[in-house]
Amino acid sequence: MSFRDYDKKTFIADAARDFAARRISKRDFLKKTAMAGVGFSAFNLGLLGNVRRDRGLTLGEEAMAQDAEVNKWLKDVSGPFKGTKIRYTSEATPPTVVLDKLKGEFTEATGIEVEIEIVPLEQVLAKATQDVQGQLGSYDIYYLDQSWVATFSQDTVDPIQYYKDKPDLAMPGMDWDDFSKPLVDGLAVYEGKWVGIPFDIPIMTTMYRKDILEKHKIAPPNTVEEFTAAVKMITEAEKANGMYGTGLQAKSGHYSLNCDWTQVVWNEGGTIFGADKKFAGNNEAGVRGLQVYQEWLKNSPPESTNSTWDGQWQMGASGQVALINSWDEFFPGWDADDSKVKGLWECKRPIRGPKYATPADAGFGEIPGAAHQGGSILGLSKYSKNLDAAWIFMQWACSKDIMTRCTLGGGFAPMRISSFADPRVKAKEVVGPGTTRHLPVVLETINNDMASEPDMPLWAGFSNNEIPVNLGKLLTGQDFGGDAKKCMDTIASAIDAAVAEAGL
Amino acid sequence: MGVGQAPVVKRPWLPRWLTSEHPFPWLFPAAALMVVFGLYPLYKAVETSLYKKNAATRKLVWDPDFNWTKVLFDERVWNALFNTLMYTGIALFFQLVLGMLIALLLDSDRKGYGLLRAMMTLPLVIPPSVTAMMFLLMLNGSFGVLARGLVAMGFIPPGFPILGDSSTAMAGVLLAEIWQWTPFMVLIMLAGLRSLPKEPFEAAAIDGATPVQAFFRLTLPMMSKVIAIAVLIRGIDLMRAFDYVKVMTDSGPGTATETMTSYAGRIYFGNADFPYASTISLLTLILVIVTSTLFMRIFKVKL
Repeated sequence: MSFRDYDKKTFIADAARDFAARRISKRDFLKKTAMAGVGFSAFNLGLLGNVRRDRGLTLGEEAMAQDAEVNKWLKDVSGPFKGTKIRYTSEATPPTVVLDKLKGEFTEATGIEVEIEIVPLEQVLAKATQDVQGQLGSYDIYYLDQSWVATFSQDTVDPIQYYKDKPDLAMPGMDWDDFSKPLVDGLAVYEGKWVGIPFDIPIMTTMYRKDILEKHKIAPPNTVEEFTAAVKMITEAEKANGMYGTGLQAKSGHYSLNCDWTQVVWNEGGTIFGADKKFAGNNEAGVRGLQVYQEWLKNSPPESTNSTWDGQWQMGASGQVALINSWDEFFPGWDADDSKVKGLWECKRPIRGPKYATPADAGFGEIPGAAHQGGSILGLSKYSKNLDAAWIFMQWACSKDIMTRCTLGGGFAPMRISSFADPRVKAKEVVGPGTTRHLPVVLETINNDMASEPDMPLWAGFSNNEIPVNLGKLLTGQDFGGDAKKCMDTIASAIDAAVAEAGL
Repeated sequence: MGVGQAPVVKRPWLPRWLTSEHPFPWLFPAAALMVVFGLYPLYKAVETSLYKKNAATRKLVWDPDFNWTKVLFDERVWNALFNTLMYTGIALFFQLVLGMLIALLLDSDRKGYGLLRAMMTLPLVIPPSVTAMMFLLMLNGSFGVLARGLVAMGFIPPGFPILGDSSTAMAGVLLAEIWQWTPFMVLIMLAGLRSLPKEPFEAAAIDGATPVQAFFRLTLPMMSKVIAIAVLIRGIDLMRAFDYVKVMTDSGPGTATETMTSYAGRIYFGNADFPYASTISLLTLILVIVTSTLFMRIFKVKL
């Protein structure tokens, strides 16, 4: 099947999925399907239900004020590139959605058009892979999830080096030291090279329903053991009311399940790879971690095995669960005006296991810890035909001003230290749409608990195929008879063989 | 020149094979399209399958045996093959039986039946991926209308994830497939039924044959060619099943609904292993060619 055919077949599916996940409105959904030549009967429209809105993404007045100095630089530097069109593709992450709304300011100041294709994560990977394989330069910028950074490291321009090499295009006040160091180390740097600029940092924190925990006289959990006990107790007490202790993003074959799994392994003192570069998820700690996850699954809505992060967020929004150890970026949406759980969720640093392995115990640059980071970077494509225009946009998109305004627009964690301290961000630390009241916890988590998956070229494949597919077999009873060790051994043999074959 | 004969126009400046009497100019555009969009991609797929890709360096190395040997020992390929055949067999059975039954019910000239027949085409105009999304929502264990119905009838416990459980996921995907494509069978069967001669049925009625006897002794034998062609067309399509699986389960849970095409897609887009994905795709092509040829031989279908 060709890439084009794949695109065609999944276009409508993506539109439908975006609609279901509230990324686009019904109007946009219908427009897309109409574009694809679709006619709907009234019956089908009825099935689609009512309009769903964004996860509390709001662009207030404070987000609309363009920095005058930045504007002047854009006008000065962009003359030769007027009329150029640059393209990149990205998942519908909160900063991308906000940036998509702000990009008009950039075009107005520079005359450079920006096209952002917003598609599901697996398609972002597919498009980037296709582009680099043929060195096509169809995309000027790559949105790279942290798990793909090593894979694409040879295909991007080092932004630090380019900033030095092109002083005429360098944005004044870029202040590279303003990027949080753990984020740079964990996200952007591979083998000493900046593969791109940190752009997005969802990180795992523990979130809980204050009212439910108070009702059952449970203290917010600090450890894995306390968390497990709490979810069991709540499921037992509230299951009859349709509420479970926790909810998981355990969709078989999806990267979200891989994220959950890596976290539970780290929590038990395990690593994904040992220092000998052999898969270590099947050792005692790794198996113990998976067994804890199996226990959590028993205390989560059955749809968990069919849910990614969207489904997990929905569980929190619909009042189906009381505790979630997952992405902090869920939080602002739960505080939205139309949310039935507005003001009921609280956020704290992630639960911790008894001990954690050190990076020295792990292979391929893996950093074990209590808070799995799911960040992404913007990488400048080496094959871009509009390298300099794309570079100007990238600097603008990752500037202090834009990053802070993106946070104000969506309430998610910024990359820059200065954004956390910005008075406008601080002022929004109250219950309400686009709240930033969880950000102090997020900053503390980034600085103290951040964990990163292995940096290796094969990781994109492992984390999207071998690991979540086999975990799915175990968790849904297709194979392994519930035996976590058997499942891990199967994954180990597949991964070790592939690593050896690649000569790593 | 006889009466009624067209005058022969001589074009001495053109070679004969380029004149309108020769088939070449008329076949050329179609043949060119076939070469560009059919044969060349096929050639590229075969060529790509003969390389081995290093996942770390992305280098392609000529190794003709590697992928073709790997594909034979890959358990997921055999699982996908089994799923593909099961999916095809079950969907074909239900679509054929339901298609015939509904066609028999709609084969009438009474008032309103024309409208009913037209309404049967509605599911066919919905793109499969949208149908898949509809069923994904309707089968959701928490709020899906079909899931709630099944709970009310006592078939599944409340909240049961039909598409998230390996024992029921395939049935969920098949439900969408059968719902959408049964009308296609209905249309073909209806066309066949309405073209049958009336005389044999009138003779059978005079001889006292019951409707059931008439169906099995007359309708089915006379419809055999139509049925065979319908099965062939749907069978080929079903063996390439992708849309419903991709949208509803993404081949999961585990590999419970993984078909040959969805596995090839995962290897191509997830692992970026183009040579191995090409090999799996070619294997699917071989499967389709072999099974459809066998079917045509056994049932003496002539196209």
